[in-house]
Amino acid sequence: MAETIITEISEFLQKGRAKNVKALVQQALDEGMDPKVILNEGLLDGMMIVGGKFKKNEIFVPEVLVAARAMSAGIAILEPKLVEVGNEPVGKAVIGTVKGDLHDIGKNLVVMMLRGAGFEIHDMGVDVAPEAFIEKAEEVGADVICMSALLTTTMPNMEDLITELKTRGLRDKYIVMVGGAPVNDTFAQQIGADYYTPDAASAAEKAKEAVMAKKAS
Amino acid sequence: MERFYELEGLQPKVGLDETLKGMDCYEDSPVYEEVVDEYREIYESVMEMLSPVGVMGFGELPKEIATEKYKAGTPVLYVVTSVGKAISAASTQAFASGDYVRGMLCDAMADAALFSLEQIWQKQLRKVCAEHETGILRRLEAPQDISMESQKVAWEYLHLQERFGIGISSGYMYDPVKTTCQIFILTQDTGIFKAQHDCRNCPNVTCRHRNIPKTELTVTRSNVTEKILLEEGESALDALVRSGFFISAPCGGKGRCGKCRIKILSGDAPISEGDKKSLDKAELAAGYRLACCLFPKDDLEILLDLPDESEFDVVGDILEEQKQEPQKQVMQGGTQTERAWYDVAVDIGTTTVAMELLEGETGRILHTVTFINGQRAYGADVISRIQAFVEGKKEALKNSIRKDLFSGFCRLMQESGVSSASVRRIAVGANTTMVHLLMGYDCDTLGVYPFTPVNIGLIKSTFGELFGSDLCDAEVTVLPGISTYVGGDIVSGLYACGFDETDEVSMLIDLGTNGEMAVGRRGQIYTASTAAGPAFEGGNIEWGTGSIPGAICAVEIGADHTAAVRTIQDREPAGICGTGVVETAAELVRCGLVEPSGLLDEEYFEEGFPLATTKSGENIVFTQKDIREIQLAKAAVRAGIETLLLRYGVEKEQVAHVCVAGGFGFRLDVEKAFAIGMLPEEFRGKIRTVGNSSLSGAARYLMDSRGDDRLDALVGMSTEISLSADPDFQEFYMEYMMFGEE
Repeated sequence: MAETIITEISEFLQKGRAKNVKALVQQALDEGMDPKVILNEGLLDGMMIVGGKFKKNEIFVPEVLVAARAMSAGIAILEPKLVEVGNEPVGKAVIGTVKGDLHDIGKNLVVMMLRGAGFEIHDMGVDVAPEAFIEKAEEVGADVICMSALLTTTMPNMEDLITELKTRGLRDKYIVMVGGAPVNDTFAQQIGADYYTPDAASAAEKAKEAVMAKKAS
Repeated sequence: MERFYELEGLQPKVGLDETLKGMDCYEDSPVYEEVVDEYREIYESVMEMLSPVGVMGFGELPKEIATEKYKAGTPVLYVVTSVGKAISAASTQAFASGDYVRGMLCDAMADAALFSLEQIWQKQLRKVCAEHETGILRRLEAPQDISMESQKVAWEYLHLQERFGIGISSGYMYDPVKTTCQIFILTQDTGIFKAQHDCRNCPNVTCRHRNIPKTELTVTRSNVTEKILLEEGESALDALVRSGFFISAPCGGKGRCGKCRIKILSGDAPISEGDKKSLDKAELAAGYRLACCLFPKDDLEILLDLPDESEFDVVGDILEEQKQEPQKQVMQGGTQTERAWYDVAVDIGTTTVAMELLEGETGRILHTVTFINGQRAYGADVISRIQAFVEGKKEALKNSIRKDLFSGFCRLMQESGVSSASVRRIAVGANTTMVHLLMGYDCDTLGVYPFTPVNIGLIKSTFGELFGSDLCDAEVTVLPGISTYVGGDIVSGLYACGFDETDEVSMLIDLGTNGEMAVGRRGQIYTASTAAGPAFEGGNIEWGTGSIPGAICAVEIGADHTAAVRTIQDREPAGICGTGVVETAAELVRCGLVEPSGLLDEEYFEEGFPLATTKSGENIVFTQKDIREIQLAKAAVRAGIETLLLRYGVEKEQVAHVCVAGGFGFRLDVEKAFAIGMLPEEFRGKIRTVGNSSLSGAARYLMDSRGDDRLDALVGMSTEISLSADPDFQEFYMEYMMFGEE
């Protein structure tokens, strides 16, 4: 019985049925199920499948948005319980668009997918200075720093952050990920970032993989 | 000569298709309906958030951004436009709160709005370049054509911070993000004007708006020729409308109404099925085609000659009828006694006009005429009329309605045998836009926030003044309105229902496109309008049609899921009218073929639920999209009712009388309205259908010796509640979107 509810949560989430997801999450809680199980095997499992389909071009942005909205509705109900049982996130990510750059839609999509992968997010918004990224990461004990840039004129600010990390002797403490229209793998390697990913779903997947690998080592 | 020009009339347009394309959402997406619902829900508030500004300025290229090709000192024109910060903030906020669909929509709508401004400023660009006797050699945009630093140069030169509060980041990006900057390289050769963005030169190859055109239309209208580019798979109608050409297409581009005909001057345009239905052989031979059915494969030259040609001679028509009139009066006047006098009540509806001849002494109705409002040639609804006005049809629109009224008046006189000269007073009830068009007021402000009318008060004029005729010297009174949205037609309805004469709470609900409603009693009345959309008039419904013979008006679905329908005048089924739409929805819900959420049964999901077959063997179906339309319409009405009652502070049970107005309301089976949740069950037994309450209100006003005082009092005790920004309304709207309890 319990398994059915969890599967249903995942399935309804994939279809973007926020109301059903909410109702089922509530029902699962009422039936005394572990909120962590509801989160990981229901909501996040559903989002992982959605992300995978998106990467394979089986579904497109609107379907992901609708599914993520359902996830968000489910998490809203689950959140207090997760706090009660002291659920640990997959990892903590500090994310923002780099200094000089005000684009935020791409970054917002990455935030959405990272949430769907179970990350605790600290969204710094746009026009974020390298120092601000680092200070926030130190403050919250982040695992990952994600930077977005949409202009060739603002891309160099990504390198500034990495230089600053090195200066402070913190480079190895964080996984640094970069993305945005003009960014590519070569650029990421040039500036010494850890990963570049071409889309939001891949970013979330890569972040999770990298954090788990780092924690295991 | 001026160097700087602040842009005027920047009215952004946001289209559904354009928006959805911007977020990769197409009709085949499984979540299409949901995204569309969300779009509709936020549309009004998004439009209110947009605060478009723009400026252009002539200058010279400074050396910081000069290149090999364009040297320092080259004359340039900078153009910067923006839709403001609020919309982007709303997007960010929606994302932060997990409402990702809304966040993405806000962003895509902001882009659509920003791009739409170009149509407006291109015209001004042409004008100022003509004044400066300069042509345009090239259009440059950062970062692809010129360095980002050029944005800073433009920012300083145009004083964007001081002028509009536009900031700039260290990366030379403008804040608000939804701001664009173009730099035009000027030339003395005025024959060159390369001002359009050409996607072929743009490096942003993944841009969803990228349009590498295959075909070009050369369009001539009123001696002006312009070139427009067709997107792939786009009809000529869509391309024309997108490019700012107004064309009336009441059927929504389905090849049914034949209104969007254009003339092919050169090029190959095969005859479509739609052409064959709507045009005769002579017209086809002359090169006429329906723009909505035309998907050009090669370049075409076309002429838009309709409806402009029909606008001429308007004044002449009036004069002609005047000349004939006196003779007829001589013949018919004999039956009238010297002393008898008469009044005429008029309702100008967006679709139809009704006029009633009243015996002055008794108020008895002697004769009624109704006819189609000729302004329909300029668009089916208020918004398209305003748009036509903005596009220069002011005189044509005014002449159209005045001519219609004059002809109607003459018919009324002729058919009843009453002498024109014995008509003493005329009273007109009409919505605010119709009043503006009749009086020739500016409509520019009616369609844009904050929707201010030029004159909403009581208007006293004369027959001579309005119609330029001395047939009679009747005084003409145009009834006052409450706001742009709640006009004189509703005040007239309040008058007819006697809101100011009873201490019992009454409600007036006009079930039309604008869904005006009121609740109140002597002393205080609350009014509102709720955009119900055209579904009640058969609009936006796949097989929707007006109340024409053959329109399906009643539906019953049997146990075996087959439908039995009744049509107007029992003709062969031709479509579905408003009442048919409501009945179909109610029946589908009753039979469980539509879920409470509005989801149509799987079996009919793709093709729609079959209702009947037309003469030519086509299936008239009711589709999933139609159900969504009726959900939107009925939710708007119900949410309006609930919100008004809440604000007024009365329970549904306390409402003593419910007057349902409008032609649709008159024919509607109210039980079906309860069944789909459009009206609350608590209203059962209290509903009175009052038909054209605007007309009957005008008639009552004419009979009333203290009519002006009562109008004054009614307007004074009325307050408009704005629903679009009301959070309770939004909540009710979502709640009543469903059919029945969840």
